[in-house]
Order: sequence, then structure tokens, then C-alpha cells
Amino acid sequence: MRLGVPHLGDVWIGVKAMARELNVDLVLPPSNNQKTLALGIKYSPETACLPFKLTLGNMIEALKMGADMLFIPGGPGPCRFGYYNKVQKQILIELGYQFEMVTQGRGLTYILQKLTNNAPMWKIVKAYMFGITKLNILENLEREIQKVRPVEQKKGEANRIYQEAIFAVDNAATYSELRKLRRDFLKRLHSVPIIETGLPLMVGVTGEFYVLIDRFSNMDVEIELGKLGVEVRRAIFVSHLVSANPFILLLGLREKDRAHKAARKYVSHHLGGDGWQSVGEKVLHDKDWDGIVHLEPFGCLPEIMARNIMPSVKEGPPVLNLIYDEQTSKVGMLSRLEAFVDMLYRRKRA
Amino acid sequence: MPRALYYYQYFPMLKAFFEHLDTEVVLSTPTTKATLLAGCHRMVPDTCLPIKVFVGHCLSLVGKCEYVFIPSIRCTRPKTYYCSKFLGLPDLVRAVIPECPTILDIHVDIDKGSKDVRRSIYRLRKYFPNEQRDLEVACLNALRALYDYRKLMLAEQLTPPQTLERLAGVPQVPLKTSCPSGEKVRVSIIGHPYVLYDDLINHHLVQYLYRAGCEVLVPEMLDHEEMEKAVVNTMGRIYWEYEDVLVGAAAVYLSDDIDGVIALTVFGCGPDSLMVDIVRRRVQAKNIPFINIMLDEHVAEAGLITRLEAFLDMIQRRKENSYASGRTSSR
Repeated sequence: MRLGVPHLGDVWIGVKAMARELNVDLVLPPSNNQKTLALGIKYSPETACLPFKLTLGNMIEALKMGADMLFIPGGPGPCRFGYYNKVQKQILIELGYQFEMVTQGRGLTYILQKLTNNAPMWKIVKAYMFGITKLNILENLEREIQKVRPVEQKKGEANRIYQEAIFAVDNAATYSELRKLRRDFLKRLHSVPIIETGLPLMVGVTGEFYVLIDRFSNMDVEIELGKLGVEVRRAIFVSHLVSANPFILLLGLREKDRAHKAARKYVSHHLGGDGWQSVGEKVLHDKDWDGIVHLEPFGCLPEIMARNIMPSVKEGPPVLNLIYDEQTSKVGMLSRLEAFVDMLYRRKRA
Repeated sequence: MPRALYYYQYFPMLKAFFEHLDTEVVLSTPTTKATLLAGCHRMVPDTCLPIKVFVGHCLSLVGKCEYVFIPSIRCTRPKTYYCSKFLGLPDLVRAVIPECPTILDIHVDIDKGSKDVRRSIYRLRKYFPNEQRDLEVACLNALRALYDYRKLMLAEQLTPPQTLERLAGVPQVPLKTSCPSGEKVRVSIIGHPYVLYDDLINHHLVQYLYRAGCEVLVPEMLDHEEMEKAVVNTMGRIYWEYEDVLVGAAAVYLSDDIDGVIALTVFGCGPDSLMVDIVRRRVQAKNIPFINIMLDEHVAEAGLITRLEAFLDMIQRRKENSYASGRTSSR
């Protein structure tokens, strides 16, 4: 059995670590790139959303590399995501591939057993924790980088460090190694020479989960904002979804829960996907953010609802909507970002 | 009550419910260009057409009634979801129409158990000074009305607007067909009820097909259970609320003898974008003509009719050819 999984940002590092611990033969398709997208577009229905096309591209690439089992999570809920697997399966079968598709439909234990060759439970948990630790370290670094990026003297320094960190964390095999890596990279980040300016602008990035996390599909929106001297705060991290810290869950301290609570006045029910949270972020960060960049793939159901409701939200900073599909050009996005940031500066000075 | 979206499926039920509570039900007028435009102005442009129409209907009700009933529907069958637009309807209307009359909203989520739905219906009680018992009878009446409505539709092979007219006692005008019978083209249309039966959204497409002498088959003429079974056979567990009227109906009609399938979808419909692709693959595998008509507010009637004419001509020619080659049916 060779397992292929679609990409989602940097999550592959965690998945790879888990696979290594559990002796699963993992086929990792190349990170999302133009070729993946082209493959996905070629075989997808035209009005499907961007994540559909990219994950389909990933799957085709994985199958070409010899995978014979595919895994795509398909959470229930009123968003197209839960329906992906059925359509993708159909498309891939028609393309003539031989494979088995594992999805969430048949229960967690079934999936775990299927994917891990009946590994014992303690081993699965151990591997999971290790994978999560790797992701957490990268996220810690990312949060620091978001602060360093706007003020670094030599532009691009922080990104370079992050690229190195990804490589190093991916290769680390023990917890002690990881701890050391975390310490070292944080130290390096803090010693990056910076320009002393006043307080930089603080812009929140929120919206649909996939484009928010996947740097290829959002065209490095965070890096570009950093270049414009803006400190970025991202609303959703992967760890919000996979972490199992009971205190944070029960006390409702997660960003998601807090945002939902804040949005109660405007949204009384779940909108599916991340629509509720997107509205909530605007209310929640009324004071501390100077602006919000709202990302969504074209045609996203929940985010369209969020976009309809957002203008009536009285609190909150200005919002810039960026909609992504395969036709979006980076230059267009950049000029919109520049104009938005200019406006925010002027607003802050006034 | 807005004449859009769930109206075509549930109006008799809602009417029975509110009339039992001594409430006068004011229905918005059929969709017009003005309704649509009013809705469009309030919404983000890439919202789908039926939602714009719905908002237009709500706008037309401003000043005409005291309350507007807008449910938020997540699922009416276990683990089968409506799209997020249905879920957020009350919040959406509240946000885009600040001047809207008080919104009576109930949250329908069968996944949380029927108790949850009941509780949310009882929350309406503060608007009605009746006793709790009365509300229960109203619910029963409503269910009975819904049951009768569906039975009538199935028994007489009527479309929902025809059934609603029948229930309201409007004398029916038999549709004239110009084509001699026997040679009739059997076309099945699949699509969401609020697209199929709103004449403004679909530019009188159903009537056009009738006039062109087609036998029109719509999903509402089929048995619900049969369609559900067809979906389960082809796709596994049902995921979308309207999956049975699209994938299911197509599968049922495919096993029947039909000449063509028209998929009527709206631009930007999330579930449709994926479901229609599956239907297309299945229909084409059977070598039956298929056309996907995507509607939005910019669709021109002339363009639509040209496409339909070409489609029907093609079917006709196929039929003649197959007769000529000695086969009995167009398969």
C-alpha cells in the first residue's frame, strides 16, 4: 500500500513525520505549483472552487508517482468540502487510475486502521503527538516571523530563515532535536537587524481555511503585506484544528470560539465552513487590528454569506476582500494591497 | 412570506401552520424584473441568483406585513445538508435589509434531534398569544397539509406551481401542444425547485418546452424514496438536500426511456457545480443528449431559446435517424 495525500500549506511536515513513525509508505506529491493547478483545472468541473482543483491536481500527481491509496478528509457540514471525495473519486476512476479512496465517512477507527496497517493505538497517538509538535514549532516561528518581516533591514531575511526551519524541522527525528531547533531559530529571528520605526500597521488575515493556509493559492499574501511594512495576524492556524488541549477547548479560548461568540449579534447560526468566524474576527478585533484582509476562493458558499453580512457589522476595521481562482493575477492583488495599506496609513495618521 | 426558495416545497405546510394560528398570510407577488433588480442592488455580486431573488421578495414585503417568516435550514434529513445560503438566510436578510419587518426565524437542524426543532418552533410562541397546545395542533395541521400536497403532486403528475394553483382553486388552462402526439420528445429537466418553477429565473423555460411539444419530466413527479435510493446506489450516502432531485432524478430517468436531459443550474451554485458534473458523466456514458444551462441575471431569453432549439432539433434528428435505421427507440 502506498498512501497519497493532498497538500495543505505546510501540513505535509506533520503528516510525513507521522508516516515515518508508523512505517507507512507515503507518497508526497510536489508542493502546490502551477503544474498542479493546471492538472486540476483540466479535469475539474469549471465552477468548482480552487481547493477542489488543487487537491485534485495533488491526487493525480500522487497517483502518477505510484500511490494506490488516497486520503482526503471530508468533514460533514454545509460546505462543498465534504462532497469533494465523491466527485474526485469519480473523476480519477474515469481517468483510469487504480486506487482506493479513504474518507471520513466510515468512522475514525476504520480510517486509522486502514491508513496505518493496523498499528496499535498507542503508536498512533505517539506519532500524532510528534507530528503536531513539529507543526507547532513551525507555527511558533511563523508568528515571530510575522512580527519581524515588516521591520527587517534586509528584506527577505525572515523568509529565508523560515525556509531553513522547514527543512531542519522536517529532518529532525527526536523531541530533543526539535527543542534545540526551536531555540536556535527563535534566537536567529530575534537577532535579525531591524529598522526602528513607530508602531507598524497591524492587519488581520482571515477567511476561508484552505486559501488562508496554503501559500501557493493565496499568492504569498502575508509576505507581500510584510514587504509593505505591515504586521500580519492570521486568524486560523492548523493547530487550532488539530490540537487537543482540553483547557483551551473547554474554556472557549480558541480564536474560533471567541470569534463565534463575538459574532452572535450578527450571525445566530453556523454558516458552514469558516463564514461565522470571518464575521466574528471583524467584531472581535475592533480595536487591535487596523485592517482586515479577507481571503476566499471564488464561489465559496460560506464566505459569500460572510461578505454579505460584513458590511452591516458596525464594529471593526476596514475590510479588503481578495477572491482567488486560477485567473487571479498576482499583480492585480499587489496593487489592491498597496492601495489598501496606503489607505490604512492615512487613516491611522488622521 | 417571500415567494422564493422553499416556497415551492413547503408553502402549503407553512400556510396551514400560520392560518391555524389566526394569522393572515401575505405572499409576495411572483418574481418580476424589479424584484430581481432590487435584490441585486443589496447583495455582493457573486451571490447566486435565487438568493438575490429571495432578498428582492423580502424587500417587496417591507411595509406590507408585520412579520416575515424566514427559517434557517441546516438539514431536514439526518446528515443531509442544505447549502450555507439557506443556513444564513435570516442573518443575511437582517444584514442587507435593515428596514425589514420583524423576522420570525426557526432553526431546522434534524441532526440535533427533533426536540431541537420543536424548541425552536416554540420560540415563536412569544409572537402568538395562543397556548402551547394550539401550537402543537398547528404543527400537526401543517404536516397534514404537506403530506396532502405531495400526494396530489405525485398522483396527478403536476409541477409544484400547478399543484399550488389547484389548491388555491385557480381554474387550470390546459397547455396546448403544437406537435402531434406519439412523436413526443421526452425531456427530463433536473434542477432545484426554486430554479425550475420561478418563471423569471428560468425565462419560462418549462412552458417553452411544453409549447415545443415536449413531454417534460421534472423531479417532483417522482417518488422521493425512489430518488433517494437511486442516489444511494450511485453515490453512496446523500450529502446535499437537493442531491436527490439532481443526481437521483437523473438516475431514475436514465433507467427510463428518455431522449434528453436538461440540467438547469444557476451560476455560483456550489453544490450544483459538483453534482452536475457527476450527472453529466453518467448521462454521457449512456449516450443520451445532455445540456447544462447556467442561469444568472444577465442571461438573455433569446440566447437561451436558441440553445434550446438547437438541443431539441438535435434530439429530433437523432430520433428520426434511429427510426430510419430500424431501431424502435432513440437509445
